Amino acid sequence: MRRPTVLRITLNILLLALLAVVLGVSWNVTEIDFPGLISNLPNGEKIIKEVLSPDLFTRDFETATIEIPFAIPCGSAPDPIPPSSGPRLIATPACADEKTSFTLEGFDLSPNAEIVIRWQFPDGRILTATRTTTDADGHFSTSVDAKPIASAVDGVPSQLQVDTNVSVGNLKTSQALQDVTREMFVTIFMALLSTTIATIIAAPLSFLAASNIMRRGVVGTTIYYIFRSFFNLMRSYDPLVMATVFAFWLGYGPFAGMLALTVVTIASLGKLFSEAIESIDAGSIEAVTATGAPRLHTVVYSVIPQIVPDFISFIIYHWDINVRISTIIGYVGGGGIGYYLSQRINTFAYHQAGTAILAIVIVVWAMDFLSAEIRKRLT
Amino acid sequence: MLRIQNLSKTYPSGTQALKNVSFDVQDGEFMVVIGLSGSGKSTLLRCINRLIDPTEGKILWDDVDITAAPPAELRQIRRKIGMVFQQFNLVKRSSVMTNVLSGRLGYANPWMSLIGLWSADEKKRAIDALDRVGIADKAGERADALSGGQQQRVGVARALMQEPKLILADEPVASLDPVLSHSILQYLEQLNKEGITVICSLHFLDLVHRYATRVVALKDGVIVFEGSAQEIDRAKFKEIYGEEAQEVRAASL
Repeated sequence: MRRPTVLRITLNILLLALLAVVLGVSWNVTEIDFPGLISNLPNGEKIIKEVLSPDLFTRDFETATIEIPFAIPCGSAPDPIPPSSGPRLIATPACADEKTSFTLEGFDLSPNAEIVIRWQFPDGRILTATRTTTDADGHFSTSVDAKPIASAVDGVPSQLQVDTNVSVGNLKTSQALQDVTREMFVTIFMALLSTTIATIIAAPLSFLAASNIMRRGVVGTTIYYIFRSFFNLMRSYDPLVMATVFAFWLGYGPFAGMLALTVVTIASLGKLFSEAIESIDAGSIEAVTATGAPRLHTVVYSVIPQIVPDFISFIIYHWDINVRISTIIGYVGGGGIGYYLSQRINTFAYHQAGTAILAIVIVVWAMDFLSAEIRKRLT
Repeated sequence: MLRIQNLSKTYPSGTQALKNVSFDVQDGEFMVVIGLSGSGKSTLLRCINRLIDPTEGKILWDDVDITAAPPAELRQIRRKIGMVFQQFNLVKRSSVMTNVLSGRLGYANPWMSLIGLWSADEKKRAIDALDRVGIADKAGERADALSGGQQQRVGVARALMQEPKLILADEPVASLDPVLSHSILQYLEQLNKEGITVICSLHFLDLVHRYATRVVALKDGVIVFEGSAQEIDRAKFKEIYGEEAQEVRAASL
C-alpha cells in the first residue's frame, strides 16, 4: 500500500510543478507591467477625463462686436459706465492722455480664442491696435497705447472694439449626440433585423436538430447529426471573425455587420430552440393524440404552447445580446455605433467617444433590464 | 366488446413488452390490469388506442380492427376512447379550459379549433365536464397552478369531452395520495356505472378489490392471471409480484 501513496504524492508534486511552469509562462507572455499602471497614470487620466465628459449639448453662437468708447485725452468726452456682466471690455484707467498706455481687459469672451483689438475712429475708419489671446475663461488683459490718431473729435471719442462669439438661444443637442443617437438606432435595428432573419431560418431548422423529433431511423438520425454539427460549428465562429469576413466582402457598413450577426445568431438560436424542443413533455402530445385530434392540431395544442414562451424568451435574449455584440462588431467595420466609436477614438476625439460610450452603456443596460423583465413574465 | 388477440409488442431496442396477450373485455366492465412496473401494463393500454403500434396480433372493438385502421379511421376510433394518465399529461402552460377543450379536438370544426375558436356549445360542455369533477371554478387557471389531484380531475374532464365508450386509465392514481386516489377512482366508477367501459392499471391491491369487476395480471408481458379480484390469494399474489413481495395497502400509507 505504501508504494502507490508515494507514487501519488510524486505525481501530485509533478502536477503542481507543471502548473507553476505554465503560470510562469503565462505571466511572461502577457508582458506584465504593474509599475506602468502608476507611471503612465497621466495618459490614462487624460483619456478617462475626456471620455467621462461626453459631448452632449451645445449652444448656437454668432459673432458679435463688443465696444467701449475711450476718451483721448481725458476729459475730451464723458467716461463710459462699464457694464458688469456679459461679454465686456473694461479699460483701466477709463481714459488716457496721448502717448501714454492703459490696460484693456476683456471678460466672458470666447475661450481660448485669438482676439483682435481695433480702434474705430470718430470718422468710422478702423485701425488694428493689438492682438491677444483669451484664456479658458474667456478673459484677456493687455496693454494698449493711447495714440494721438485715436483722439476724440468734437467730443466724440474713438471706440475700442473686439469681435467675439456670443451664445444665442437655449442649449441644444450637440452634433455628436445627434450622430450617436442615429448610429445607436442603426445598431438597435441592425440587431433587430439580424435576430428576426435568424429566427425565421433557425426556427424550422431547429426541429431538424432536435433528437426527440429526428432520431428515428437512419435518415432522421443522419439529418439530426448534420444539423447539430452545423449549429455547433457555426457557433464556434466568433461574431468578430464573421464581421471581419463580411466587411472585407461587402465593404464597411451595417449590412456586413447585420449579416455577421445573423449567421452567428442562426447557430445560437438553432441550438437553443432545438434544446427547447427536446425538453418538451411528450406526455401532453400523447394525451392530445389520444383524443383523436389531427396531427396539426396536436402540434398547435401541445407542442406550440410548450415551446413558444421559450422561443420568445430566447429571441428577446438574443436581440439584447446582438445589440451588445454589434457595438463591438462596428469596430471591425460592421457599421452602427461601434464604427462611430472606433473612428472617434482613432481621431482622438475622446469627448465624442465618451458620448458614444455613454449611449452604449444606457442602451445595453436598458435592453438587459427590458429583456429580463419580459422573460420573467413568459415562463 | 373489446377482443385482444395474440397481441405482441417488441420495441426496437429488443425489449419484448407483450408476449402473445389475449383477453376479452365486455362492455360495461371495470377491468383492472395489475403487475409490476415494466410488466407491460402501459404498453398494453397504449396498444388499444394505438399510441403504440403492436408488432403482432389484433385488437377488435365491436368487430372493427383497431390495429388495421388507416389514420383517418383511427382518429374516429380514438375520439371514442378517453385516456387518463399517471402524470396527468396536461399541457402545463395552457389554461385548464384549453386542456379540457382539447378533448374535443376529434369532434370540433378543425379550422376553428386550429386557431383556438370554440363554439358556445363546446365551451358549455367543457364547463359541465369540469363541474362534474368539481373544479369548474378553476377553468381560467393555468394547468400547472393546480394541485396533483386537481390536475388529474382535469384529465378526467378532458376524457369526458370525448363522450367516450371506453376509458383507458394508465395508473391514474399512482402519483396521488390515498384519499385523492379514491376520489379519482370514484369518478371512474361513476362513469363506469353510466355505461362506459373502463380499463385501468393499478398498483395497490386494496384499490383493485374495491373497484375491479375483473382483473388481468401481467408478468414480463405474459398474462399470469385472469379472474375476479377475490380469486387473488397469497399464492397468486406471490406468482404475480414475485417471492419477495409484501402486500402494501394504500389505506395503510
